[in-house]
Amino acid sequence: MTTESSGAGEQAGTAGAPAAVRIHSLWKKYGDHTAVAGIDLTLPAGRFIGLVGPNGAGKTTTLSMVTGLLRPDAGQVEIGGHDVWRDPVAVKSRIGVLPEGLRLFERLSGGELLSYIGRLRGLPGDEVDKRAGQLLDVLDLSAARNKLVVDYSTGMRKKIGLAAALLHNPEILFLDEPFEGVDPVSAQTIRGVLERYTGSGATVVFSSHVMELVESLCDWVAVMAGGKIRADGPIGEVRGDAPSLQDAFLELVGAGSRARAGENLDWLGGGGAR
Amino acid sequence: MSTATRSVSTPAAAPPSPALTPIFVRLKLSLLKNGLRQSPGRTAAYIISMAVTLLFAAGLLLGLILLRGVSGAPALAVLLTAILTLGWAAMPLFFPTADETMDPTRLVMLPLRPRPLIGSLLIASLIGVGPVFTVVLAAGSVVAVAHGAAAVIVGVIATVLIVLVCAALARAIATANVRLLTSRRGRDLAVLSGLFVALGAQGVNLAAQKLAQSQGLAALEPAAAVLRWIPPASAVDAVDAAGRGAYGRAVFGLALTALALVVLLWWWSRTLTTVMTSPDSSTLQAIEKDSGRKRAGRAGGWERLLPDGRTGTVMRRTMLYGWRDPKTKMGWAAALGVGLILPVVTAVQGGGSVYTACWASGLLGLQMYNQFGQDTSAFWMVASTLSTRRDAFLELAGRALAVAVIAVPYVTLVVLGSAALLDDWAAFPEVYGVALALLGALVATGAFASVRFPYSIPSDGNKNVAPGQGGIAWISMLVGVVMGGLLCLPVIGLTVGLHVAGLQGLLWLVLPVGAVYGAVVAVLGLRLTAPVVLRRLPEILVAVSKG
Repeated sequence: MTTESSGAGEQAGTAGAPAAVRIHSLWKKYGDHTAVAGIDLTLPAGRFIGLVGPNGAGKTTTLSMVTGLLRPDAGQVEIGGHDVWRDPVAVKSRIGVLPEGLRLFERLSGGELLSYIGRLRGLPGDEVDKRAGQLLDVLDLSAARNKLVVDYSTGMRKKIGLAAALLHNPEILFLDEPFEGVDPVSAQTIRGVLERYTGSGATVVFSSHVMELVESLCDWVAVMAGGKIRADGPIGEVRGDAPSLQDAFLELVGAGSRARAGENLDWLGGGGAR
Repeated sequence: MSTATRSVSTPAAAPPSPALTPIFVRLKLSLLKNGLRQSPGRTAAYIISMAVTLLFAAGLLLGLILLRGVSGAPALAVLLTAILTLGWAAMPLFFPTADETMDPTRLVMLPLRPRPLIGSLLIASLIGVGPVFTVVLAAGSVVAVAHGAAAVIVGVIATVLIVLVCAALARAIATANVRLLTSRRGRDLAVLSGLFVALGAQGVNLAAQKLAQSQGLAALEPAAAVLRWIPPASAVDAVDAAGRGAYGRAVFGLALTALALVVLLWWWSRTLTTVMTSPDSSTLQAIEKDSGRKRAGRAGGWERLLPDGRTGTVMRRTMLYGWRDPKTKMGWAAALGVGLILPVVTAVQGGGSVYTACWASGLLGLQMYNQFGQDTSAFWMVASTLSTRRDAFLELAGRALAVAVIAVPYVTLVVLGSAALLDDWAAFPEVYGVALALLGALVATGAFASVRFPYSIPSDGNKNVAPGQGGIAWISMLVGVVMGGLLCLPVIGLTVGLHVAGLQGLLWLVLPVGAVYGAVVAVLGLRLTAPVVLRRLPEILVAVSKG
């Protein structure tokens, strides 16, 4: 009852609650292939939001367009009320990004990378160094701060990327598959940092195709398939009567029927002669 | 001879272990044969490269036979053997994957003892096109200098020793550097190999020209006088000595080479034991320790001299990349090397002009081209921090200053050097002025081309343009260089005008005019380009992310 974001969670993102991201009829085509087909989506502020979908659903394309790294064919994106393409000054200082499939400046050491990106963001030098030191500590990268990022493992790369995205204390953090290929220890570290971050009222939007992870982390999800949003809302609402988010998801993307297509493989199994 | 090699290879006739040599010989033959089982194009390339190598060897052999009896032949034979040895030493460093049996860590799980292993690996490495080439060249060198029966006997021993020393040297170096060769650093080095080959070829070219100009093979005498004491070239000298009846010197030369072989085998055996018995997990730790130590010692220093704010930050990153990123480093090294070699070569050949020094300015100015391609897809980090025109201008200015900090002093040195070498100080001010104007024009057009025609630079291999973007790269260069030339026209026009009008006394004016003009054009170019960067961020990111 005290704060509307936690109490009246069911209505968040629709009526009066502040929106972190508003997406309006967003399109992206590559030749004949439609990657994102007219998305309308409003993401509430102060939540841990999961963008889920199978491979090729358009998650990365959507996140790239929302963060200003990819130009949409049509549509608008507003972050905190500012248009991403018309008001980059207001938007870029408010968001932190960890893209998937793009490199870091790998020939810098972890420490140099943070020092570089912090200064590019216009933070004072000593403040950058202080924050970088603390982030490296929390993310368990202090021992590797002088090592070149090119020699980092996947988990370490995700962690240094997260540190770079957090350095300027953004209001909204966009993470594309932050747990992909990450070992359990690093995953737990990343999780701890993200939970502390959203606990202070910030918004995290992350994409994943691991339902268990989304279910355990997020309080709000958007389900994507074939370039469209199939469902979005608080996690309980999206899950509905299904026993788990995984089941609800399979139902939503129409993969339930594909699983049953296994009946065609009736010859497959132990004990058969041929 | 076979007993001699046998006694080296398996001295203590190792206990019941299986006969390794046939196994490794068969392994090597299978690897060679598998070269024929790739895609048709690769198979063709494989066969052609083998054929070319053998033809080259045949040509060299013929040449050496023809040189028999010529006075400079011994010097040439000694020099060729030394170069051949150098090639074997460098081969495992630059082409680490050329011979898969070179990597002993692949055998680490097998119950093998180092001594029999060394013998078998040495014999296995005598199979292949490279060793055939070596045998032919060593035999050719011996034929060129062997006169008399004694010399022939020494020659046969020398040929065997040379080939064994070369093979053992390559093996020993490969084993000692196995950590390096399988690491990221090793792959970085391999990217730079093309450059060493190119610069080496330039050196050979210079030497050949000098040879053609001067008194023929006698010019090799000073180099050969030193190299004849260094094994395995000393073995070739031994053949020559035996022919002249200097048997003491012949024995000494052979002994020196044999000693080198023993030392190499001992070193190889020691490193092989270390490599095969130390834990593999240490690889990572070793690299970590390395890069940590290097950077700790270098922090501070020059970085304090950089300006504050975005410009200094960008400069620092650009300069670090010039040193640490193999592709960027190669671009810089090639520009610095060729920019120096061209004026020097033309000056040495005579009839050159101080204006050749403008090559340095042109090649270094080209480093401003495809700036964002050098970032690879990491450009997203730049894109996500650029939001105003000022940001974009400072980003470009940082990169331009990083180029200028190296290019301006270097161009100054090359122009000064050319003027000194040609003793044409009168041309110095005008050439220096034109060179600076050209540098400024290339920085301006380079910034614009970087934004308008960005393309990806693949991080591995020797290609500098991603597949499918060759056209863009070409346009970028062509339009940029033509525009750069046009932008220089006012300064060139002033120079030509002063010459035509006979106002030689005023030619010094070209220096201040060129310097100021270059700086103004560069700043204007960056200012005009800045808003375009801001508009095209996503397009640039897409274009540079294909590598």
